Amino acid sequence: MNRSAALPHGARSTSTLPEQPGVLVVRKHHFLVRWSHWLNVLILLGLILSGVSIYWASPIHQHKPDPNTGNTDVAADIGVWVCAHVPGLHHYSSPPDWIYNHMSLGPGILGLALRLHWFCAYLFMLNGVVYVAGLLGGGGWRSLLPRRTDVLGALRMFRYYVGFPFAKLACRKWPHPVFNTKYNALQRAAYFSVPVAGLLSVATGWAIHKPMQLLWLAALLGGYNAARVWHFWLMWVYILFVVPHVILVFADGWDTLRSMIVGWSTRVKRSEVVTHEL
Amino acid sequence: MNYRKNCEGKTRTDGATSSVAAKSVSAKKPQSFFGERPLPAIEMAPRVLRYRSRRDFLLFGTGALAALAGGGFLLPQETLSRIGVRRNIDSPAKEWFLNRALRIDDDVAEALYSETRRVPTYTKSQITPLKNNYNGATPDPGYIPGWTLTLDGLASGLSISLDFRNLLTRFSVHEQITRLVCVEGWSAIAWWAGLRFDDLLRAYPPMSQAKWARLESSVNLDASGNRDPYFMSLDLATARHPQTLLATHFNGYPLTVDHGAPLRLLVPMKLGLKNVKAITGIMYVAEEPRDYWAERGYSRYDGI
Repeated sequence: MNRSAALPHGARSTSTLPEQPGVLVVRKHHFLVRWSHWLNVLILLGLILSGVSIYWASPIHQHKPDPNTGNTDVAADIGVWVCAHVPGLHHYSSPPDWIYNHMSLGPGILGLALRLHWFCAYLFMLNGVVYVAGLLGGGGWRSLLPRRTDVLGALRMFRYYVGFPFAKLACRKWPHPVFNTKYNALQRAAYFSVPVAGLLSVATGWAIHKPMQLLWLAALLGGYNAARVWHFWLMWVYILFVVPHVILVFADGWDTLRSMIVGWSTRVKRSEVVTHEL
Repeated sequence: MNYRKNCEGKTRTDGATSSVAAKSVSAKKPQSFFGERPLPAIEMAPRVLRYRSRRDFLLFGTGALAALAGGGFLLPQETLSRIGVRRNIDSPAKEWFLNRALRIDDDVAEALYSETRRVPTYTKSQITPLKNNYNGATPDPGYIPGWTLTLDGLASGLSISLDFRNLLTRFSVHEQITRLVCVEGWSAIAWWAGLRFDDLLRAYPPMSQAKWARLESSVNLDASGNRDPYFMSLDLATARHPQTLLATHFNGYPLTVDHGAPLRLLVPMKLGLKNVKAITGIMYVAEEPRDYWAERGYSRYDGI
């Protein structure tokens, strides 16, 4: 790994240009981590959209047929409810398909969705390898490891986030908990969980894809049907992660967002490196 | 470590600003292997930093545009027309590319297949309901009395026609309670009985160069009840697996028309769509034959 590739002229440039005051930056994200991070946005989107289209063919969450419509799919019920209650949707052409029309590639295209899902799944696995290589190459993996103080630290962060809007409204000071690590305890929990969820998604995916040849894997996950349920609910881990992740990145500021593109941050002092980003 | 060298270099040139970074480095006492290290801090000339940022942002922007274009290109036409893209961007290149990806997945499935691995068997108490999943209309049972199974591509060069009585008297019946997994995701455990495909292959050996079986159901119907022959490719390695049956019985009774009377394929190590109902003909061929669902965008090997 050529570290100097990312920021080569560090000391040298200051010595050749002694007049110009240097900017102190910290190297935050390895370039492989950054690339895989952004690639993952598209890959996960593709996996979720095609995954919901696949879900349509045989929903996991079903109930006894509705006496009027014969519908058994909970997702279709939600679509019907949405169309009945959201203004402007009362004349929607097929309410049971509302979820699938808006949150998937569409209903009734199982073959196309499977093909895309597997394509994205192979990319997802490759991208995971790139991400891990970046973590190892840049030493970033150490910042993600859970530690003993994390339960308390996470509670403090949680208290901070919950209280933040109220403190703002009351114009009260609401200091950010101080950490001398790259991430705070909540971030660490999130950034550690998401790769683990990725690994589990891959494992449950293979268990569903090859339940006979990878029988041991399906058995480990509680059988074929249980693997399907796991696989579906793991999708929600990403969705539940992404929402606060994006909100907090923007709340935290330009430096944090930029660091995932350029790799460095100007928040050098340990107390400043502590970011609000989750 | 490289960054430490940078920091030291910096401490020499600039004592005031680097004290922070130097401190953060020197504060690092002997660390455990898993202990978090301080972030590598370096001093950069603003000019260099600007140049590098510009380069990275340009790269990022180009990559994002390329990825979006690529992603949009791969989306099904059905999805695009739903979001208002009227223009048809389906192209042979796109089909080729996505089918290539499917082939890779099929190759993986074939590599995972083992002739010695058995699919799990269950007890009668674990049997679950199995619905009639005929894609089109269920055929009229009128075909059953005159039903025969035609074998082609045999080593003898003959075309053989077997009726139901021939099959039941010539071959021993095997039972198994296995799971049938549908491409849609659902699965069902059922109790099947029938002859082993392998026994049929031994009794009527295929021609030496044959690697594939083409199974056909000529009585298959489409949704509006018109004739729509169902044809399916099966590799002979899977056909020879001892759990691959030509099933005649379902849950203790002769197959009903719903489940493919009088003879259906039961190949639990393949997706349900390979388990052809109401087989009327088997032909052994050297090249991979056409496959009903592969022609409709599904995978071809379908090993699970």
